[in-house]
Amino acid sequence: MLSKLINLDRRIIFILVALAVIIPTLLPLNLPINVSNPTQRIYDYIDTLPAGSTIMIAFDYGPSSMPELNPMAKAVLRHCFDKKVRVIGMTLYPFAPTLADTLIKEVAEEKGAVNGEDYVFLGFRPGYEQVMLRMGTSIASAFEKDYTNTPLTEIPMMKDITNYDQIDLILDLASGSTTQIWITYVNVKYSQQIAAGVTGVIVSNMYPYLQTKQLIGLMPGYLGASEYEKLIGVPEKGTEGINNASPVHVLIFVLVVIGNTVFFIQRRREE
Amino acid sequence: MIHNKTILWVLTCLVLFLCGTFAFSQEPAAPSNVTAKDTPNDDGSSITITWDAAPEDSGVVGYKILRNSDAGEFEEVSKQLDANETKYEDKTIIKGKTHAYIVRAITDADASVDSQQTDAVQAKGQWFHTGKTPLFIAMLLFSAAIVWNIYNARSGKEIFVRRIPGLEAVDEAIGRATEMGRSILYSTGLGGVSGVATVASMTILAQVARRTANYETPLRVPSNDPIVMNVVREMVKNAYLEEGRPDAYNEENIFFLTEDQFAYAAGVDGIMVREKPAAVFLQGSFAAESLILAETGNSIGAIQIAGTDSEHQLPFFIAACDYTLIGEELYAASAYLSKEPMLLGSLRGQDWGKVILFAAIILGVFLELSGITWITEFLQRVN
Amino acid sequence: MKRQVPLVLCFLFGVVMCFTQFSPHQYSQAVYNEVINWALIMAPFALIFGTITLIQTHVTRIRRRIEHWQYSFVVFAGLLTMAFIGILFGPQDPAFEWLFNNVQVPLDATMFSLLAFLIASAAFRAFRARTFEATLLLIAAMIVLIGNVPVGDLIWNTVLSWLPWDNGASETRQWILGNPNLSARRGIILGVSLGVISQAIRLILGIERSYIGGGD
Repeated sequence: MLSKLINLDRRIIFILVALAVIIPTLLPLNLPINVSNPTQRIYDYIDTLPAGSTIMIAFDYGPSSMPELNPMAKAVLRHCFDKKVRVIGMTLYPFAPTLADTLIKEVAEEKGAVNGEDYVFLGFRPGYEQVMLRMGTSIASAFEKDYTNTPLTEIPMMKDITNYDQIDLILDLASGSTTQIWITYVNVKYSQQIAAGVTGVIVSNMYPYLQTKQLIGLMPGYLGASEYEKLIGVPEKGTEGINNASPVHVLIFVLVVIGNTVFFIQRRREE
Repeated sequence: MIHNKTILWVLTCLVLFLCGTFAFSQEPAAPSNVTAKDTPNDDGSSITITWDAAPEDSGVVGYKILRNSDAGEFEEVSKQLDANETKYEDKTIIKGKTHAYIVRAITDADASVDSQQTDAVQAKGQWFHTGKTPLFIAMLLFSAAIVWNIYNARSGKEIFVRRIPGLEAVDEAIGRATEMGRSILYSTGLGGVSGVATVASMTILAQVARRTANYETPLRVPSNDPIVMNVVREMVKNAYLEEGRPDAYNEENIFFLTEDQFAYAAGVDGIMVREKPAAVFLQGSFAAESLILAETGNSIGAIQIAGTDSEHQLPFFIAACDYTLIGEELYAASAYLSKEPMLLGSLRGQDWGKVILFAAIILGVFLELSGITWITEFLQRVN
Repeated sequence: MKRQVPLVLCFLFGVVMCFTQFSPHQYSQAVYNEVINWALIMAPFALIFGTITLIQTHVTRIRRRIEHWQYSFVVFAGLLTMAFIGILFGPQDPAFEWLFNNVQVPLDATMFSLLAFLIASAAFRAFRARTFEATLLLIAAMIVLIGNVPVGDLIWNTVLSWLPWDNGASETRQWILGNPNLSARRGIILGVSLGVISQAIRLILGIERSYIGGGD
């Protein structure tokens, strides 16, 4: 019995995981969310920006990370449009333009933001550091046209934006190593303020930069999304996601506890 | 009495009126100490203008910067800057020309007053970035330590290298695949050919190929970068040739799958499930697909040796693989497997680098604790 | 000769690119940008090259009827459909967007979501308190795991309500990530960085040459 339990067929674990996700999706939980300091710092920074300021959001993630990062992007966009903070969207990830464009349009429509005046989406350019460095001199040298092929010179919002000097914050929404590259090239070279929203799996990578204050704030995965949603008072997919993820976390916790208990009993017997 | 009071009132009003008029009509003082200098440590594309901050009650609400080129007309070159600014970097200069500047203080009454004109300056590019001096010294120091050890190693003195179980197991893994008559699967990860981890992975692959050549064990290498694939083909082919087994080399075993991360993971998983390789090598740069690959390898019972410098993927590999090369062990692999003295020498140089780092950290901590901050300030100059 | 040329090129470019990192002068930056542009230009050629080898591999599979050769047709169907619509109508065409949103997105998301299942099974199998160090690691991992979701604080505030400390699960998680995790990670990063420097010097000096086919 014990050895059966310790060598539990992984398919049983898979079924348990599936149930732990499906059940709360059907019967939603409503757990209280406490906002962590790194998320609060991003919110506070954007909240104190005067109307007419500009932030740049880099959508550096693909479809696989959409569930975690899209809610963050949505919440931040809502916050920006409410505060009349202008948004420049762009991506260094080839699979992101379609999803980022769809998302920005959706939030803009909801908030009545106008393309070219309140926001602009520049699309994708290959080459990470090359694009970042070029934008340091002039955004137009990296993106001559926006995603809809309008030259930047014809976009009203871009008339007084040349380079990072006119951008108050860069928010990198990342599923890979792009945040480190933004920090290395744009924070260090241009002293640009940078914040990040990243998938749960790379959160722990970001802590060295939080400590050195090279990141002004950090949204960690679903948790970060739900926290930002709480801050702007619009609980949505992020909150739903973290609620649905909670039982799986508890399940893994319980599985590990069971595994270790059985392991100890077995070892005792062997001794 | 009444008469005196009236006179007092009139006088007070007069004084107040005069003061008020004087205050409102007073022009703010012109910005003082205005200097224009070539911006240090740049490519000669900007000039930095500095001035002293205006006193708080001066009524200055902002500044504008005016510039002339080669003693021509002065023109505005900046938007209105905030009142608390005391520095402006003009990045719109015309290269090869001299520029003089005027700082214009703007008051809340929409009046303005100009500073004196600065001396004319010309921007020049610098060949060495003085802000990177600590970095440069560190680079020279580490490089010297490594190079000295490499050339010292040529004398043939034996160098001790600690046991790395993951690399000791390479022969075991290949032997096992040979005994079972199954293939070996080798993934170089997601990195391109310019990734140092990918290059390290390829050097391990060359060593693995030398061993498989002798046993005729099929070595399958699905690649996610066409250039990496091409280099790997060349390398493996050479390894087989040098072992005298060019006939055993099969180019089709090294192939391009896709550049997409998860499609690559799906492809490699498919190969694992269908072909059931006896040994799986996951060496190089990996991201979220690491556990998908390693768990599939685990489920087919393959002996798995992983190695990566992507530190956030290490826990996954450690949990699912038999052996894991942690960070720098990946780079040490080539030296460890080939036992070439010069490569081993570079490992010792690396250790010297560590000693230097430890010393700097400990010294820094003690100095900071005793309130001496020059070392931290010196290192923070890197920008 | 065949081996000397790449070694000389590697040495030259290695030294020059290293120099450009310390020199902001316009000439050295021009060299840097030029080399970066060369690297960028290589990328599309590599993609063409990759597509050709992909086609070759699958044509061979079909021709030789290698096991599961039928799936190679699926590869060609996908490749042709996306290339045809993408090249002819561009990535903003509704058909391309539809394929992206309804094929690429769910397929990628499916692969990524496998992680949830695999993490659970790997954690169950590998997380054992075999030694003292493993026990410490296990406890830290469990705190981070449970502190990562709101249920952690809920349990803490309910079960440990007698403690004068609210939301302990998420706060301990923050502390673990910001202190022990941070220092361990810095250690690994320092080791890796030195390894990279050492590897780069070996490559630049031509001591490590297995990437051009090993040997002398």
